[in-house]
Amino acid sequence: MSETTVRTERQLRGGLLDAYTATRRFVIRGRRQPDVIFGSLLTPVLFVVLFGYVFGSSIVVPGGNYRSYLMPGLFAMSVLFTAGNNAVAVAADMSEGVVDRFRTLPIARSAIVIGRSLSSLLLGIPVLVVMIGCGYAVGWRADNGVGNAVLAFLLFELFGYAIGWLGVLVGLLAGSAQAADVIMNIPIFLMGFISSVFVDPANMPAWLRVIADWNPMSAVVTAGRQLFGNTIGPPPSGVWSLEHPIATTFGLALVIVIVVAPICVRLYSHSTR
Amino acid sequence: MSAPAISADHLVRSFGATRALVDVSLRVEKGTVCALLGRNGAGKTTTVRILTTLLPADAGQARVAGFDVTDQAAEVRTRIGVTGQTATMDELLTGAENLETIGRFCHLGAATSRRRATALLEQFDLSDAARQLVKHYSGGMRRRLDLAASLIAEPEVLFLDEPTTGLDPVSRAEMWTSIRGLVSGGTTVLLTTQYLDEADRLADTIVVVDRGRVVAEGTPEQLKASIGRPFVRVTLPEADPATLERVRRLLGEEAEVSGRSVSAPAPQGLVTLEEVVTQLRGLGVPVHEVGLEHPSLDEVFSAVTSHSAHPEAPAISRAGGT
Repeated sequence: MSETTVRTERQLRGGLLDAYTATRRFVIRGRRQPDVIFGSLLTPVLFVVLFGYVFGSSIVVPGGNYRSYLMPGLFAMSVLFTAGNNAVAVAADMSEGVVDRFRTLPIARSAIVIGRSLSSLLLGIPVLVVMIGCGYAVGWRADNGVGNAVLAFLLFELFGYAIGWLGVLVGLLAGSAQAADVIMNIPIFLMGFISSVFVDPANMPAWLRVIADWNPMSAVVTAGRQLFGNTIGPPPSGVWSLEHPIATTFGLALVIVIVVAPICVRLYSHSTR
Repeated sequence: MSAPAISADHLVRSFGATRALVDVSLRVEKGTVCALLGRNGAGKTTTVRILTTLLPADAGQARVAGFDVTDQAAEVRTRIGVTGQTATMDELLTGAENLETIGRFCHLGAATSRRRATALLEQFDLSDAARQLVKHYSGGMRRRLDLAASLIAEPEVLFLDEPTTGLDPVSRAEMWTSIRGLVSGGTTVLLTTQYLDEADRLADTIVVVDRGRVVAEGTPEQLKASIGRPFVRVTLPEADPATLERVRRLLGEEAEVSGRSVSAPAPQGLVTLEEVVTQLRGLGVPVHEVGLEHPSLDEVFSAVTSHSAHPEAPAISRAGGT
């Protein structure tokens, strides 16, 4: 084996180890911020009540059962909210001395941002579990078997992981935690509401309907509904992303990670306070 | 002599229109403590950030532990410890967890990281607080933990950027004790400070920076000697004008009275002191104290960093220094 191969291998091993250490740090940290965990639970749980019962009573959806229609959307929303926390957390980290400390250590340049994105994925799991409990409580069921349900949740998490990287990117660029909060969370809200998460876009004005149909969030939720068996009739014709929602979600998540992650690594390693 | 632990040649760095470093060169031999002394904004932190690979220099070169800070940054990072001005420990982790995390990042492995963390917490008197979250630590404890963190991988060269700024006197004294302990273990230390007494107490050599330039360097003694000669001070038990006048006349033309003491230049140091003591005995006046005094580093500092009309011609330049 040549010397370069040995060095590359050692670098790779060191990089994986560093990413593990960073993830571990962020998970320990995250567990000690009950306010953040509570915060990311509060909104989707409130949505279950608000939309499932308050608005839901006057919302008509294909298939008839609104709460079965709603829950896959709220699973996806909760995953999205957790991912959005990354923006604020990274922006806060960047304004503290801890970044300087890390940058004088012999750590792989990618470790901290990878650790951040992985830890938010891990910390989001309990939130999703609570949401599944809520879903069960309000009558939602996965009708296509456990395997497909697991696949749906994996797909949601993958999408959340990709959005988590966007959160890291926003956090690196934002300059302050407050700015990061606004830049990240307003689009997340818009993405959630102008989609098929809460209502059937068929009833929207034509121009808004086009946006809602092509909104990736609609594809994600449709993928979930298909896998759970909470089907809602045929997709609007001509919208490729809704005709192939699973492929769309998977592909989009992959593209976001492949494009955004290297940018984040570069930004992080060139950042100075 | 072996290669110096730190060498910087003509470092230049600007931030926009602000010239943080105009020309900074320094050399720190292995196992010694060098204090970078200067006012706020003199360029101390910029110098440290360049030497610790955090910031590229616009021009100039620097080597730390034998490696170039720009081209061989990774090599440098495995050999240095850095304690910055701001606390860098994670508030939501315990003291022990913080140190272990840094240890793991230095690739010491889990077991060694834990062992080193425990030993360092002991060494810095933080064992009792090891399992407490850092957010409950006092300012002094945070600084000590920060210092401990920079030592976890047993670095060859340690950078301390204003290690005691903002600390109360007791915590400062504790930091000094800790730093001195390290040096006796052979670590090379570059510390920045705006406190002269700190430089005087801790450093083997002092580099005075002002507005991005090195304006003086040498050992504390060399710096003091360069600014002026020692003087002898005679203190009387009471401020009795007649007696003060007699002593003043005894000490010669340059003698000055202030309060209940009289001071005069002592060009020959101890020899002059001995003469004065003998003459005082002959004079038969009651004396409270007689001593030889050196100009303080404060005076040196004022002299070399005085923002006079001729900044390019400081009162002294390059005292000693090799």
